[in-house]
Amino acid sequence: MVTSGLVKVSFFETARYCTPRPLPAEWPVASGGYEAEAGAAAYRGMIERLRCVEQMGFDWLSVSEHHYSPRILTPSPIVAAAFLAAHLERITIALLGPIVPHSNPVRVAEELAMLDTMTAGRLVVGLLRGTANEAMTYDLNPQEARDRTDEGMALILKAWTEPEPFGWQGRHFQYRTVSIWPRPRQQPHPPTFALGTSRESLQFAARHRLGCGVSYGPFEVMGRATRYYREECARHGWAPAPEQILYRANMLVAETDEAAHALLRAQSAQAPFSMRAGVRDAVAALDARNIAGEARSAVVTGALPTTFIGSPDTVVEQVRRCREAIGAGVIDLSLHPPGAADLAPLTRALDLFGSKVLPRIREI
Amino acid sequence: MSDVAARIDAIEIGGRRLRVTETGQGPVLIHLAGARGSGLIPAHALLARRFRVLVFESPAPLSVGAAEPPEALAEGLAAATQRLGIEAFDLLGTSAGAPAAVALARHARERVRALVLEAPLLLDPARRDEALEHRLGELTVPTLVLLGTEDTVLPGAVGRAYKALIPGSHLVFVYAAGHAIAADRPEAFAEVVGDFLERHEAFVVSRARSVILP
Repeated sequence: MVTSGLVKVSFFETARYCTPRPLPAEWPVASGGYEAEAGAAAYRGMIERLRCVEQMGFDWLSVSEHHYSPRILTPSPIVAAAFLAAHLERITIALLGPIVPHSNPVRVAEELAMLDTMTAGRLVVGLLRGTANEAMTYDLNPQEARDRTDEGMALILKAWTEPEPFGWQGRHFQYRTVSIWPRPRQQPHPPTFALGTSRESLQFAARHRLGCGVSYGPFEVMGRATRYYREECARHGWAPAPEQILYRANMLVAETDEAAHALLRAQSAQAPFSMRAGVRDAVAALDARNIAGEARSAVVTGALPTTFIGSPDTVVEQVRRCREAIGAGVIDLSLHPPGAADLAPLTRALDLFGSKVLPRIREI
Repeated sequence: MSDVAARIDAIEIGGRRLRVTETGQGPVLIHLAGARGSGLIPAHALLARRFRVLVFESPAPLSVGAAEPPEALAEGLAAATQRLGIEAFDLLGTSAGAPAAVALARHARERVRALVLEAPLLLDPARRDEALEHRLGELTVPTLVLLGTEDTVLPGAVGRAYKALIPGSHLVFVYAAGHAIAADRPEAFAEVVGDFLERHEAFVVSRARSVILP
């Protein structure tokens, strides 16, 4: 396991929509509950916050794709990234990432090529299958999600790199004459990750020389996935650089360990996307997932784990352990639960992280 | 293949007897299938719904290392098909059958309506063959080149060379197919080949139906 080399730090931005009105927890959340002023404030606040994040020296910022809920207000990570790119001069923008199976892969390839060009090559791309609830966003059959993701990712890579107009005779996608303009600025394409712990996603990443990204789980469990990934890369005759292994996680940093754990206790224990029981069961039945081949449930019951928690000293040590266990050269951090009503804790966490943790992570 | 009517025959070409299998009705499609020989596969049955398919076996080498020159085979095939009363035909060259298919498309250019090259073993990325590139550049027949995305014999990058060299040609990647495209994905193969042979360059215009419910 490679333990030398800098760890890159990414800030996971969720475009925080805050309202004093209590919002229903069930997904999808009724669109009629949306308040225009809160939405406008969410995107303005995003820019202000990310200017600070850039100032502090974070290497990347990241945005994700989630729909039909105020919890993460970026149904189009590409639109979010374009907006951010116009306001932020230096920081790398990571799209973690476009949900491939319900998208038009050629359009994703085109839009990412535009973004890469508009940002002068500051783009990083993570492609993924999406959380279980997202299958319902655009009426995707969960049983087809894996195959559509694999084919879609292959088509995106081909669209970025094939100089002649080409047809694609796929199982789920068919085109006769693809020829994208612009092409990505970074060649052969922006740094690209296949996100997910499944054997299929890790195999795809290894085969196509992409990075891998894992999220939220305990270090040992995530380490099994990244170990499998590195074995698969070796089978294909190459070794990934540390920054080709990414770990997205929740972090609760406070002045003391006790204060951090108190923050955790005060959080909601609710699952991020609460579906009705019948829906949840139907999705779980159709959506088979695995961690490097070991079966796991598609549906998250309860809140996502927080694997970095404590005082700055404790958290720095956890980052070191994470580096050893997972081999991740990039950690993508959420410092405050998305969907929380109050933003003050986020500001405090950001200040503390920026001053007491980030400079020391550089020395790991 | 018990439900597909097929006739097996032998054709005299250049003093040798080559097996040919015939199935289907419609415009003639001549298939030079390379090492796979003249046997029928499910893709042939699909094409046989719209075409009269004749699958020719490749001649065995006359001696070790002396493969039949494609031009000689092409001349023999041109004459043999004429004797069968076949005037115009579509042409499909697979893998090692591609050189003879290209030679036949040049030799009998007035009779070949369209050419499909399936995973062609022709251009070698390792060494340039300027004479071959010149011959490809002189093709006047509508041409479709198919490559499987899982082909371990041909690198995917070779497709662009054919597209660039053959005037007006089309390049299509068949997803999840290896070197034997028609064998790996018969329906996908038959759909794009059938559409191209029917419409040539107009095959880029979709006729697919997307109405889910009336």
